[in-house]
Amino acid sequence: MGDFTTLFSVNPSSGVPIYRQLIEQVLGLIASGRLRAGDELPSVRQLGAVLSVNFMTISKAWARLEADGVVLHERGRGMVVQAVGGAGPTPQQLRQVRELMDQAVVRGVQCGLSRADLKAVFRVSVEECGL
Amino acid sequence: MTEFLIETQGLRKSFGKVEVLRGVDLAIPRGEVTGLLGTNGAGKSTLIRCLLGLLRPTGGTASLLGCTSWELADAEKSRLGYVAQEVQLFASFRVRDMVGYTAAFYSRWDANLVRELLERWELPESKSCGVLSAGERQKLGIVLALGHRPELLILDEPAASLDPQARRLFLESVLQLAADGERTILFSTHITSDIERAASHLAILQGGVVRLHSDLDGLKDRVKRLRITGGGGRLKAEDVPGVLKWSEQGEVVQVTTDRYSPDLPQRLHEQRGVEVLVEDLNLEDVFLAFH
Repeated sequence: MGDFTTLFSVNPSSGVPIYRQLIEQVLGLIASGRLRAGDELPSVRQLGAVLSVNFMTISKAWARLEADGVVLHERGRGMVVQAVGGAGPTPQQLRQVRELMDQAVVRGVQCGLSRADLKAVFRVSVEECGL
Repeated sequence: MTEFLIETQGLRKSFGKVEVLRGVDLAIPRGEVTGLLGTNGAGKSTLIRCLLGLLRPTGGTASLLGCTSWELADAEKSRLGYVAQEVQLFASFRVRDMVGYTAAFYSRWDANLVRELLERWELPESKSCGVLSAGERQKLGIVLALGHRPELLILDEPAASLDPQARRLFLESVLQLAADGERTILFSTHITSDIERAASHLAILQGGVVRLHSDLDGLKDRVKRLRITGGGGRLKAEDVPGVLKWSEQGEVVQVTTDRYSPDLPQRLHEQRGVEVLVEDLNLEDVFLAFH
């Protein structure tokens, strides 16, 4: 298994929070194929020490990636990259979208919108999105 | 209930007629690594010295580890590490003797850690403290403060006389200490990039009060610079929440806000017909925006 520690770098003077820089880098590395399904992200301690960055910051980045289904914490291995590319949204992402939509529907019902009204509103938002 | 390892309420400190601290409210829970920023003379050292019980407050309260700072007992002191701006050493002692002298005050002393740090930091144990350079004195001060793996570590401009390489070593040591998430660290500095790397939180001391105390990531999400164009001058300062700075140059309005939210550009566009460009700010920009 390769050591991917050297693939990461952070710029503390950038306005972008360091945890977000790391998330972007992981997503970029996956998109470019440098990181593949089954690869392990460096451990929080290892990367924190190499980059001289607060370990909590790394932990936060990895946790966000896990919540988005990009990596999965596997026992004894750490954070492992999941199958990506053309795989569609993860169940977790779908659930997030569902929750947001549920809120909107509830609010609509509270406002007295009918089923047809709701559908119309939904169509407009989808169209305005440029889909 | 949250346990605050550092807590002040309405803390005041005057020297003669000069009031340096004018009601400092600061509460730092366990596990937080806080960088303390402030202009020269803002009162950072005074605050730290009040916290440690080295100065008696003129008003309000200061406590460490749940105990009033002015009445810290040996039990609290043994859980505490402190590096002063000017590290006090015995000139006639060798480095090795200084370490032994300090270790004698603590029941728990990690001799291996200290030996390893001295080696990494290139501090020869046989060198006399009297001939150490300013940077070497500071390094030794930090090593001595880390030796008992304190629960609470307070450093007053620890990086001021360190070269970039030593500063990096210093950051690494602090991060190692903080790795278990249980240690609480407060350090004052002028080097904002050190805070960005090592700290989880930032506090800004300004005009004798804490102007801001926030986690770093949240802060960077909230403080933004907006470049606003168009709208034919319809945009008013009241339209933008949390304005810190406002300047107009011809058609362009430049605004710094500490209450940015992702929906703000769209809202301004709808209300005032303006185009908004959002710029991220680093800590140095953020610090300047508050002054």
